[in-house]
Amino acid sequence: MADVRTNLLICTGGGCIASGALDVSEAMRAELATRELAGEVEVIETGCLGPCVQGPVALVYPDGVFYQNVHVEDVPELVEEHLLKGRIVERLVSHAPGTDKTQAEMNDIPFFNRQVKIVLRNSGIIDPLKIDEYIAREGYQALAKALTSMTPEAVAEEVLASGLRGRGGAGFPTGMKWRFAQQQDNDVKYIICNADEGDPGAFMDRSVLEGDPHSLIEGMVIGAYAIGAHQGYVYVRAEYPLAVERLEHALGQARELGLLGDDIMGTGFSFDLEIRMGSGAFVCGEETALMTSIEGHRGEPRPRPPFPAVSGLWGKPSVLNNVETFANIAPIILKGAAWYASTGTETSKGTKVFALGGNVQHTGLVEVPIGMQLGELIYEVGGGIPGGKDFKAAQLGGPSGGCIPKQHLNVPVDYATLQDLGAIMGSGGVIVMDEDTCMVDIARFFLEFTQEESCGKCPPCRVGTKRMLEIVDRICKGEGEEGDVERLIALGESIQQTSLCGLGQTAPNPVLSTIRHFRHEYEAHIKDHYCEAGVCATLFKARCSNACPASVNIPGFVSLVGEQRYEEALRLHRERNPLASICARVCFHPCESKCMRAGLDGALAIRHVKRHMVEQETDPVLPEIMVSEENAGRKVAIVGAGPAGLSAAFFLARLGYKPVVFEAEPKAGGMLVQAIPAYRLPRAELQREVDMIAAMGATFEYNKALGRDFTLQSLKDEGYEAVFVGVGAPQGMKIGVPGEDGPGVYDGLSFLKQYNIHGAGAVGRNVAVIGGGNAAIDAARSALRLGAESVKILYRRTRAQMPAWGEEIDAADLEGIEILTLVAPEEIVRDASGKVIGVLCKEMALGDYDKSGRRRPVAGHNPTFVVAADTVIAAIGQSLDASAIVDGTPLELNRWGYFEADPVTGGTSTDWVFSGGDATTGPSSVVEAIGAGERAAAGMDQFLTGANHAFWRRDIEPPVFFDPDLDPEEAPRHEVEELAVAARVTNFDEVELSWAAQVAVAEARRCLRCDYGKYGHKQGV
Amino acid sequence: MPTLTIDHIKVEVPEGATVLQAARQAGVKIPTLCYLDDVQSIGACRVCLVEVEGARTLVASCSQPASDGMVVKTNSGKVRDGRQMVVELLLSEHDGDCQTCGRSADCELRTLALDLGIGELRYKGEKTFKMIDDSTPALIRDTGKCISCRRCVTVCNEIQQVGGLFAQGRGFATLIGPAFSQNLSDVVCVQCGQCAAVCPVGAIQERNQIDEVWDALEDPTKTVIVQTAPAIRAALGECFEYPAGTLVTGKMVAALRRLGFDAVFDTDFTADLTIMEEGTELLGRLKKALVDGEQVALPQFSSCSPGWINYMEHFNPDMLGNLSTCKSPQQMFGAIAKTYYAEKIGVKPEDMVVVSVMPCTAKKYEAARPEMNDSGVQDVDIVLTTRELGALITQAGIDFRSLADEEMDAPLGISTGAADIFANTGGVMEAALRTAWEIVTQTPFPFPNLHVAPIEGLEGVKVATVKVEGAKGDWAFLEGADLKVAVAHGLGNAQKVIDQVKNGEAEYHFVEVMTCPGGCIGGGGQPRFTTNEVRKARMAAIYREDEGREVRKSHENAAVCALYEEYLGAPCGEISHRLLHTHYFEHDRV
Repeated sequence: MADVRTNLLICTGGGCIASGALDVSEAMRAELATRELAGEVEVIETGCLGPCVQGPVALVYPDGVFYQNVHVEDVPELVEEHLLKGRIVERLVSHAPGTDKTQAEMNDIPFFNRQVKIVLRNSGIIDPLKIDEYIAREGYQALAKALTSMTPEAVAEEVLASGLRGRGGAGFPTGMKWRFAQQQDNDVKYIICNADEGDPGAFMDRSVLEGDPHSLIEGMVIGAYAIGAHQGYVYVRAEYPLAVERLEHALGQARELGLLGDDIMGTGFSFDLEIRMGSGAFVCGEETALMTSIEGHRGEPRPRPPFPAVSGLWGKPSVLNNVETFANIAPIILKGAAWYASTGTETSKGTKVFALGGNVQHTGLVEVPIGMQLGELIYEVGGGIPGGKDFKAAQLGGPSGGCIPKQHLNVPVDYATLQDLGAIMGSGGVIVMDEDTCMVDIARFFLEFTQEESCGKCPPCRVGTKRMLEIVDRICKGEGEEGDVERLIALGESIQQTSLCGLGQTAPNPVLSTIRHFRHEYEAHIKDHYCEAGVCATLFKARCSNACPASVNIPGFVSLVGEQRYEEALRLHRERNPLASICARVCFHPCESKCMRAGLDGALAIRHVKRHMVEQETDPVLPEIMVSEENAGRKVAIVGAGPAGLSAAFFLARLGYKPVVFEAEPKAGGMLVQAIPAYRLPRAELQREVDMIAAMGATFEYNKALGRDFTLQSLKDEGYEAVFVGVGAPQGMKIGVPGEDGPGVYDGLSFLKQYNIHGAGAVGRNVAVIGGGNAAIDAARSALRLGAESVKILYRRTRAQMPAWGEEIDAADLEGIEILTLVAPEEIVRDASGKVIGVLCKEMALGDYDKSGRRRPVAGHNPTFVVAADTVIAAIGQSLDASAIVDGTPLELNRWGYFEADPVTGGTSTDWVFSGGDATTGPSSVVEAIGAGERAAAGMDQFLTGANHAFWRRDIEPPVFFDPDLDPEEAPRHEVEELAVAARVTNFDEVELSWAAQVAVAEARRCLRCDYGKYGHKQGV
Repeated sequence: MPTLTIDHIKVEVPEGATVLQAARQAGVKIPTLCYLDDVQSIGACRVCLVEVEGARTLVASCSQPASDGMVVKTNSGKVRDGRQMVVELLLSEHDGDCQTCGRSADCELRTLALDLGIGELRYKGEKTFKMIDDSTPALIRDTGKCISCRRCVTVCNEIQQVGGLFAQGRGFATLIGPAFSQNLSDVVCVQCGQCAAVCPVGAIQERNQIDEVWDALEDPTKTVIVQTAPAIRAALGECFEYPAGTLVTGKMVAALRRLGFDAVFDTDFTADLTIMEEGTELLGRLKKALVDGEQVALPQFSSCSPGWINYMEHFNPDMLGNLSTCKSPQQMFGAIAKTYYAEKIGVKPEDMVVVSVMPCTAKKYEAARPEMNDSGVQDVDIVLTTRELGALITQAGIDFRSLADEEMDAPLGISTGAADIFANTGGVMEAALRTAWEIVTQTPFPFPNLHVAPIEGLEGVKVATVKVEGAKGDWAFLEGADLKVAVAHGLGNAQKVIDQVKNGEAEYHFVEVMTCPGGCIGGGGQPRFTTNEVRKARMAAIYREDEGREVRKSHENAAVCALYEEYLGAPCGEISHRLLHTHYFEHDRV
C-alpha cells in the first residue's frame, strides 16, 4: 500500500455500489483534495466487505474503524472529524444490538470477529484492479511454490490432504477430482471454473470475482499444473458484467507478468484462461450442462459416467470447480494442508462463505469456519431476526437445499449434518425466515424456480416438478385435497431417484424438507384452509383477521369506527367475539403484528381503536339470536366462567340454548377477574359483557366447583345433554427450591386472586417476583400498588426472551420495578425465625438453543448471591390437576396433562363433553379461549342437532366506502397515552387512557383495507 | 471384457458395452423410449432405468457403461416404481386423444403404458402446449403429443445435420420445434421425414392424403393412375405383418387394382428414363470439360432425392449448378403420364390424376413445387407414403396377404432391374454405371453380377474409381480415364462429400446422394420401425428383385426406347429438356 498515513477503504461490491458507494468514493476524493489531504489519505475502492445491508460501508486503516451507511452528505463530517481530528463519528458506526453501545472497530463487531477469512482474505482489503496489491498479500507465491518445488502429483495430494471439498454444492473432495484427471493419459485436458452462480440470493462467487479475481486465477493455474491442462475456461453468467470486467482486467495483468500464457514464471509450464459467458441458466451449474454450453450447445446435462475427469469438455479429461473452491487453493498450497485442515470439523475442513439473506439483520456475505453452530451464524454473525420476530427456519442450499427449523439451531453447519436434516451445504445461500413465512409458500417459491429452470430433458424433472408445483399451488390456494401430502412425498422421492441430473434429483428437496419439518402447515392449509403465517392470500380476507384466533372481522369493525358507526362496528365485532370490551384491554393482539401497514409507517393500533369503539357503548345491544324452542328446552352446561366458558355461553345462547354456567368463584371472568389486575381491566368493563351474556339467556351459578360441588356425571344425571368444560389452568406452579414452603412465599396466581377476588392482600417491603410472563409482571405491579417499597423481578433468561408483552414490561420498568435477568433462584433464604429474608440466586448464561429456538439458560460461573426480599412471589406458570376434577368420567388427557379436545369442535373422548381454552391448551391467551369457546358451541350444537348452525361464520363485507385508487397518506401510528407513574402506582386505576374521538377515527382510517376486493363481487359503498 | 450380473445372470460383454446392451445380450428385456440403436443413447426419457448396486439413484441403462463386477437389477420394485412414475408423468403431459391419433396402432408410449401395467394416472395437470404446425405439404407437427424424447432432434441435427428441430424454452414449457417457435415451412427443414420416422408418438407425422385419393377414385370424370416407387415393394409387406425384406410387388399391384386405379404403373419406368437422361447429362458434362475445355460444374450430383434438393437449395446454393437438372423419377413420371400417356389413351391432362406411392415425405413437397407443371397442369397430384398406402389398403378391407400376384400395366409399368436398385443407397450410381459403360464402350458391363460392390452397403460415404477401357466413337475421349464416383446417404454424410469437394480434398465426377440413411428403403415414409437391421433386409430384397429380372439395364428397357422413338427423340433432347429437366432455387439458410 502507498506511503500514506491513512487508507480509507470503500467497499465497491455489488451491494454497496447499488447503495451509492461510487458516489461516496468520488465525494471523498474531492473532499480530501479540497482539504489538501489527498497525499495523506488514500481512498481505495475494494471488493465486497460483507455487510451489504449496511452499505455503503468503509473501513479506515490503520485504525480499523468500520463505518456503515455512509452517504455523500456524511463525507465532510467524516473527513473533518475522523481523518483530520482523529475522532470517531459515532453515528456512523455499529452499535451492539439493543443498546447504545458503539462498536467502532471492526474487531469489536460480532459480524466480523467471528469470521475466518481464507477465501475472502483479500476481498474488501485490496483494490481488485491492482495486481500489485494482490501480490503484496502473498499473491502468486503459492503458484511459484507449486511450479518450482512441487510435482503435479504433490499438488493434488496436498489439496486432497487439506480435506477441501467442492464448494459448488455437491462437496466432492477436490483433490480426488484432480487426481482422477491427472491420471488420465491425454495431451489435451481442461480446467474449468463454474462462476455461473444461479441460486437465488447467492453472490459468493461474484464477490470473489469482483473483489479478488487473482485468487481465482492463481487457484486455476495451480489446478491446471496439477492435472496437466493448458487451457482453462471461466464460465460466468452474463448478468455479472462487473465481475467479467474485473476478471478480464486481472487476466490481462497476469498475462503481462508472465503468470498466464506460455512458459509461466520461466518454468516451461504453459496455460491460459478464457472467459465464457453463460446466459443465466440454473442448470448450467451442473457440470456436464456447463460443458455442453461451453461447447456451444444448449446447456443440458449429459449422463454420467463418463465423468468429466475422464471425458468432459469436447470429450477431453476436464476438472470443474467453482470460484470459491479455486480461491481456497493458493492458501492451501502456500500454508500447507495441515494448516487448512485445522479449521473446520472432523469431516468438513476449512471455511465456507455464506450469503446471508432473508429475515436477518446483517444480510450480506460472511466466511465462517465449517461447523459453526447454525444459531451462532444467524444470531451472532447475522445479528438475529429484525423487528423482534421469531426465527422460524433457514433455507440452506438454495432451491436444491432444504430448510432447518428452529429446533435445530444447535447443529454445526457442515456437510454431513445438513444432509441428515434434509438440507445441503449447497453453494452457501442461507435464507433466514421468520414467523411470517409460510413454509408451503416457500416450498412453492423454490419449486417454481427449479421447475422453470429445468432443461426439460428428462420427464421426472420437466413433468414431475410441474405436477408437484401444481399440487403445492393448489394447497396454497386452499384447494388441497386429502392425500396431497402423501402424493408430494411419493412423487418427490421418485423424482430424486429417477432424474437425469442434480437439478432434478434435488428439486423436490424444498418440498420434502418443509413437509418433514412443517407438515402441520401443509395439513392446516389442506384441511382448515388456514395459513398460519398469513401469506397464502387466497385463504383469507386480511392478514389481521387471519391471525385473530377468534376470526374477528377486523377491517370491518375498524373501518366502521373510521366512520364513527360504533354500534355497527361492535355488532360486527361480536359476530365472532363477544368480549370486545375485555379484548380492548387485554388482548395480546396478534392481529397487529401481521398488519400490512407495519411495512409502511407502523402497524394499526387495532386494540386501541377497539377500546374507543367499546367506550361508546352504554348498554350492549344484543346480537342476532336464533329462536329455537327445541334448543331452549335442551339442558346444556358450561363449567367455568372464564373467557372460553363465556364465549361458549354467548354462542350457545345465539343458537337459542339457555346454557347454565357453573363457576367455582363468586365472580365470573376466570383469569380475567382472578389474575388480571383492575388497572389493566376495570371490573365494570368485564361485568358489562357478562351481563350481556346473561341477558341473552345464560344463567350463572357461582361458587359451584367441579369435583367439589358437582361432577360431570351428576350433570348428566340431572339431564344435561352436553357439557363444556372450561376450567382453565388454575393451579400455580412451584419453583422446586429449598425454603419455598412456608410463610412469605406465594404462587403468583394465589397472590393475584387473593387481592382480585377477596380484595385483601398485603406484601412486605421488599418483594421478589420470580418469572418472566404476564403473571409475573401483574404480580410485581400489583405488589407495588399494594405498598411494597421495592419490587424486583428475577428471570432466568434474557429480557428479550421474556414471554410477557413488551408494553407490560416497559410499564413495569417505568414504575420502578427492577428486572434482573439471567438469574435463577437456588433457595429461599429464611432467618432463624423462618422469616423470608431473601432469594439465593445464581447467575445464568445462555447455552445451546432449545426446541423453541431460544438459547437455554445454563449456570454461569460466578458465585451465588442473595437478593434481599421479605416476600417472594413465584409466577413461573400455571397448571391443571385434571384428574382431580373429572371424577370417573373418561376424558383423555394430552401429554401435558390437559384435556384432549378436537381443535375444530372442542369434542373430547366422551361425546357429550366438550372442552376448550386453557383447560385444553395450557395457559394461553384470552382471545384463544374465546375462539375455542365459539368452536365448542358450534360443536355442541352439531352434537345435539346433527347440523352446523353457526350462522355467524360468514364473510361480511364491511358496508363502508373505500376508494382503492387512493394512495395511503403517510400517517404514523397514534400512540396510546398512560396515566403518569406517580398517579398510578398507588392505586388500581386503569393505566391506559382513552383516545379522543378524532384520534381514534384517524387511526381507524389508517387501515389499508387488505380485504377490499376479496368478497367475490364488485365492491362499492 | 467386463463381466457383470444382471438379474442373477452373469454376462460377459465387449468393452464399452452399455448395461442395456449387456441386458439384451443376457436376454433381459429393458423397456426403452428415447433410445435409438446406433443413433441416440442420451438417457433422457428415464424409461430404461435400472438399479445398480451401490448407486445413489436409479441409472439409465442405455447410457450406463457396463463395468466389471457390476450387479444390476432390472426388475426390482424400486425399478418398476420408477419406470411407472416416469411413464405416468409422460402420459400426464401428453395429449392423449388415442382413439383418433394416427399413431394409435403403433404408438410406443401406449405400448409402454400397457407393458408397464399403468392403470390410472395419479398425477394429472396441465398438458403440453398444443400447437398444430401444418405449414408444409409434407409434415404435420402436433406439439401437444410431443414427449420431448429428442429422437427427432438427434436425427435432424446429427444424422441429417439440418438443424430444423431443437429443444427450446425451459421447464414444463420446453418444446421441441423449429427455432424461435417458427413453422417448419419457415426454417431449413428439408421435409425428409426422418423425424416422423423415429417419432415414438404422433407428434410428427406425414400429411395424410388418403381422403384425397378416395375422392379421386370416386370421381367418374377422372382417370386415376398410380405409380409406385422402387422402395415400396420391399417394405409395404411390413404393414401387413410380413418380416422386413419381404418383396410384395405382385400383391401390391393386385391391391392397387382392387382399389380402383385405372392403371397401375411403376416409378421404375421413369427411373430407367432418369438413367438415360442423367447418364447422357453426365457424359455431356464430361465431354464439355475434357474435350471442349468448357467450364462445367463437376462433380455432377444426382437429383432423385427431393430432401437432398431442398438441402442443397438451403445449405449449398453455390453448388446448385452441380445438381443434375433431371427431375426425379416421380416428377418425370408425372410429366410423361400427363403428356405421352394421356395422348396415347386420349385423356386430357386435366382429367387425369396421378397418384404416387413413395417411401418419402419430401416427395409430397416436391410434387407441390409450382414449377412441376410441365404437362400444363400439376404433374403429380397426390403423394402417399408407404404407410399411407398400407392404411388405404386396410381401409378398403382388402386382405392383402391373400392376394395373388399381378403384373404392372404397360407401358409405364415396364422396367428393369437397374430401376429397382434406385431404392438402395448406391443404386442410382450402379444403374448409371451399367448404362454409361455400355454406351461408352459398347461392351458388357464387366462387374460380377452387374454389382459394384464398393458402393453398396451402409457405409456413410462410399467411393469407387472405374477405369474406362475400350471407349468408342463420340466417347473415345474417355479412354483410360479414371471415373471417380462417390455415394453418400444421410445428409450429414452428403455434406462431408461436399466439404471434400469444396476444400479440394477429393475430385469426383459423379456423386449420388440419398437423403435418408440407406437410401429410399430407409425413407421417412416407410413403415416403422427402420433400424439398420431392417435397412439391410430391405436392401437385400431390392437386390433380389433386380437379380430376378431378365432386363437389368435401363438402356435396354424397351418401353423407354419406344418412348424416345415415339415421343421424346434423343435423351437430353429438346422435348426431354422441357418435360424431364428442371431448375433450382436458392433458399435462405434460416
